[in-house]
Amino acid sequence: MAGNVIGKSVVRKDALEKVTGAAKYVGDLKFSPMLHAKILRSPYAHARIVSIDTSEAKKLPGVKAVVTGEDFHQYVGLYLVDRTLYAYEKVRYIGEAVAGVAATSPEIAEEAVKLIKVEYEPLPVVLDPEEAMKPDAPLIHEKLHEYKCVPFIFPVPHTNISNHFKIRKGNVEEGFKQSDYIFEDEYYVPHMQHCPIEPHGTIAHMDQKGKITVYNSCQSPNATRKLLSAALNYPVNKIRVIAPYVGGGFGGKAGATIETLVVPLAMKTPGYYVKLIYNREEEFRDTFVRQGMKAYVKTGVTREGKIMAQELKMIWDGGAYTEYGANITRAAGYTSGGPYEIAHMKTDSYCVYTNKPVGGPFRGFGMGELHWALEQQLDQIACKLGIDPVQIRMINACRDGSINACGEKLKDIGLTKCIEKAAEMIGWDKPKEQTPGKVRGRGIACMVKGPAMPPNAGSSAVLKINEDGSANLLITATEIGQGSMTALAQIAAEELGMSVDKIEVALPDTEYTPYEWQTVASRITYSAGNAVIRAARDAKRQLKELAAVGFGVTPEEMDVANDKVFLTANPEKYYTIAELSLGLVLPNGGGVGGPIIGRGSWVPEGLGGLDPETGQGTKAVAHWTFGCQAVEIDVDVETGKIDLVNVAAVYDIGRVINPCMAEGQTQGGIVQGQGVAFHEQMVFDENGKLKNPSFVDYKLINAVEMPRMSIHFVETPLEDGPYGARGFGEHVMVPTAPAIANALYDALGIRVKSLPMTAEKVLKAIKDKNSR
Amino acid sequence: MHQFMYVKPKDITEAVRILAENGEKVRVLAGGTDLIVRMVDKIWKPEVVIDIKGLTGLSGIREIDNYGVAIGAATPLNEIIGHPLIQQHFAVLAEGAHEIGSCQIRNRATLGGNLCNASPLADTAPALLVLDAVAVVQGEEERLIPMTEFFAGPGKTILARGELLKEIRIPYLPTESKGIYYKHARTKAVDLASVGVAVLALKPGEIRIALGAVAPTPVRAKKAEAFLSGKEITTGVIKEAVALVQEEVSPITDIRATEEYRREIIAVLVRRGLYEIQKFLRGE
Amino acid sequence: MMKHRIRFTINGEVREMEVKSNQRLLDLIRNDLDLTGTKEGCAGGECGACTVLVDGKAINSCLMLAVEADGKEILTIEGLAEGMVLDPIQESFVEHGALQCGFCIPGMIMSAKALLKKNPHPSEMEIREAISGNLCRCTGYEKIIEAILNVTQKQA
Repeated sequence: MAGNVIGKSVVRKDALEKVTGAAKYVGDLKFSPMLHAKILRSPYAHARIVSIDTSEAKKLPGVKAVVTGEDFHQYVGLYLVDRTLYAYEKVRYIGEAVAGVAATSPEIAEEAVKLIKVEYEPLPVVLDPEEAMKPDAPLIHEKLHEYKCVPFIFPVPHTNISNHFKIRKGNVEEGFKQSDYIFEDEYYVPHMQHCPIEPHGTIAHMDQKGKITVYNSCQSPNATRKLLSAALNYPVNKIRVIAPYVGGGFGGKAGATIETLVVPLAMKTPGYYVKLIYNREEEFRDTFVRQGMKAYVKTGVTREGKIMAQELKMIWDGGAYTEYGANITRAAGYTSGGPYEIAHMKTDSYCVYTNKPVGGPFRGFGMGELHWALEQQLDQIACKLGIDPVQIRMINACRDGSINACGEKLKDIGLTKCIEKAAEMIGWDKPKEQTPGKVRGRGIACMVKGPAMPPNAGSSAVLKINEDGSANLLITATEIGQGSMTALAQIAAEELGMSVDKIEVALPDTEYTPYEWQTVASRITYSAGNAVIRAARDAKRQLKELAAVGFGVTPEEMDVANDKVFLTANPEKYYTIAELSLGLVLPNGGGVGGPIIGRGSWVPEGLGGLDPETGQGTKAVAHWTFGCQAVEIDVDVETGKIDLVNVAAVYDIGRVINPCMAEGQTQGGIVQGQGVAFHEQMVFDENGKLKNPSFVDYKLINAVEMPRMSIHFVETPLEDGPYGARGFGEHVMVPTAPAIANALYDALGIRVKSLPMTAEKVLKAIKDKNSR
Repeated sequence: MHQFMYVKPKDITEAVRILAENGEKVRVLAGGTDLIVRMVDKIWKPEVVIDIKGLTGLSGIREIDNYGVAIGAATPLNEIIGHPLIQQHFAVLAEGAHEIGSCQIRNRATLGGNLCNASPLADTAPALLVLDAVAVVQGEEERLIPMTEFFAGPGKTILARGELLKEIRIPYLPTESKGIYYKHARTKAVDLASVGVAVLALKPGEIRIALGAVAPTPVRAKKAEAFLSGKEITTGVIKEAVALVQEEVSPITDIRATEEYRREIIAVLVRRGLYEIQKFLRGE
Repeated sequence: MMKHRIRFTINGEVREMEVKSNQRLLDLIRNDLDLTGTKEGCAGGECGACTVLVDGKAINSCLMLAVEADGKEILTIEGLAEGMVLDPIQESFVEHGALQCGFCIPGMIMSAKALLKKNPHPSEMEIREAISGNLCRCTGYEKIIEAILNVTQKQA
């Protein structure tokens, strides 16, 4: 049956290639002539580069190019242009790229790196963002005031604050006055790594015409191209970015990271393909990391549990460069209050430079950090007031008509349904099962997130109809595992009334596939999906017009389904799509129209800026997706170890496009959230050196640890979503950690307010409580 | 990885000769799960790598009449875990070995490798300590070293230049026994021990305790053992035994746990082990 | 000796090759034999993306020297399907949607292959254990475990 594929668990388009090992990732590609790159990295967290001597390295046989910040110190950055391609004049974190070598073998490149002599003059290291905010703190970027940035980022000149985002809604003092109780708490989230199993990798090539081709494990072919173009002052159409399958991204492969090191080497070695695949240690030290964050939350509530006012200060440990991270602090800022409606709000979200690895996008884009604070404090409030944690969420939950932190009036919100369903699924009102020797606890947490992006982030799609009635869908969304190929093929098939098997989806190649802002912000099904709908409708329009000519009727009298274009009034009269694919052929053999190519472009409409002083506006983001998770845990009170036993997850995703993939995405998010809760943190020593740059001491959840999971989707259609669909890929990891924290309180009456909740911290909390 | 010479000797005699000739410049390759990581990470740069897998007398598990079992040093852990002789007589060693790494690691990693790396947290060590195992060391001559004397410090054994760990001998336990290995780590599988505790009881009343990750080497808790010897295991006795164990360990703070936390966990695991032993001795 | 001539079987084919002593089995498979289905994720035996079978047992090919492959029988992900006919494990992964980015999947399937060879009807816990050395950052493991369980149920 053609069409009718929305809501079906269609088999993934990439499944066969991936289970047979045939799927190619950047590291699997080979070209000739090939060079291998290695990077010299800074051993200092903050130092002046006094001199760099590359002469010995250049003399080594087999070395084709050595580049440093002397050659390539152009600025690059997505939101705040604060980063140079290679370190220039200063290094600002341990692991920062100081020089790059391209040589005929990896061994020679490595040898050459050792021959580069760099003299450093150490500078004072700033690791604590709160110290870094002080007026007398050493400046990490002396020229912050000169940096270019987008209009919605607000650096504070001559400080280490690269963005200060504010919300001023209602009158927060008045709100506190109206409150019966006021709660003040602090919460902390450490740095984290994305840990895609495929490390970053790039192969770059420049031919003698100056055309640069980049094979890239990335989430953002077009953004990468634009960033390189802007940095190098190079024409966009002279840069081609190709993204084969990407072995996981989670935000870490958005924007540009490794590319900015490899392309300069390729520019120095025309004709060669320069390959750099990060090892795991480089992956930890020198790709984007999730920023650390400290939240100070002051909340006023009535004795009935209604939140009256919230004053929120978030201090983000942005790392050495915040070109991308600055916008995370904004996103968390405009989501202040989380999934709850609060009349009076005051938020200050500060992005602060420190001498740590570069903060950047990470699945959740600030929401994991924000909700870790808000969702725990709400539980503390519930406990103090003697209100059930589910109930207090129902009291405050955003609903249709609620006004959020930025003054936007919300509609089509299904949060309360999510809360009720999650509570039901976990058995909130039922007695708890007990595991011998352990104490069981139950907890719940909600979340909200919108796609954080510039208001005009667009998508486009091209749909080519082939001679046999099949189609090729060209898009530049990268397949990072989320299933974009399959979901977008389903959407095209649905619109065209075609079997999904007949639609082949291209992997991104900016030379041929049309513009896509980035594969981030859980926006591909939503944004690219809308572009695909428009492309399919455009193709359909053309098909109908041609068929109408053939039948001598108007296009409005035609319809398309089951691979046919037929007269609505008389379906027996039809052309097959195949017959019309190259245009209508008249009885005399002449042609009309020509090959069918559908094109579709899309940008969310009605988005605008926010007032820089108050953060108020009409619509900060394209849409909001809400959800809720409830968990059951077992705590070993003697060791402090927590087992995550059961998780119930309910999200209002508008419309489920592919249930199997939606479920899989959610399961993966829950387990990633479990890692956040229990293990994941980047640990730095007093010099800013990362102490755990491997999976030996940066633990991910393995198969033995994952919980039992039950998943449900509420479907409140989104007005401008494809078939009502909303983005949700990032959201699903956000509430796991606070739900576990709340379950810990339920089990033992203790709170751990800094992540991760290691067994050691839990045991300490138990002992502290017992000694009180 | 740096360049090195890979040598596969034809027998133990040749292996020992190569070790003697090269001293610090040579490293032994058995399962390679530690050696290769360290070479990739440039921590070790041996000029010679000597592959001892497959040498006669170094692999496999055999019974020694009227004594016990001998395990070749180059026997992979998974072979040990699944072996009927081990399962039947020395299950505590199988438990310890099973705690190491992943299935892939245990298919390659060997008992000898786990011991010769001399990590304080080696999961096979506490079991071998309580089993009174003996290391058979081959140099110019063969010498027998009790496991309690095998470790010399973090990363150090008593092996001298030109010596190779050949096999581990474990004597049969004279009476009905029960052994337990408890490990505390961050994740439930594939993690390094923050604390490892092996407890072994022999009827009528001998108790042996060994610990990993709590001192520069894996250690036997001899004072606690002496205290427990012949005593009825009561809650009070357990409490005193735990206190004695604490005197015999010197845990440190590292990225996996603080000293204080390690002490807490030592107490918990020893206590839990002894309660299990109590049930066993009472015939429950 | 820095170079060695070795003879081994890979995916059913006997090969004789010269390898360097400091080359890993993973390098031999990926670079010399161009079998890129086997992935490198961490080079430390922690992630399992490089899992292959050597004489029927799952091992991390990043932790084995190429020269050690002499006389061994190696099976990589490319050796599972016969032409267009998938191995039942691969089929089950497809059916259950037990993959996302796919980078861990070849290693995951090889671990499953080794498990089912030895233990055709494993319990869920045995499956979890057998793949605990294969990290997956996307799926949360649930569908992978279902897929492996289902192979055994189908064969039962």
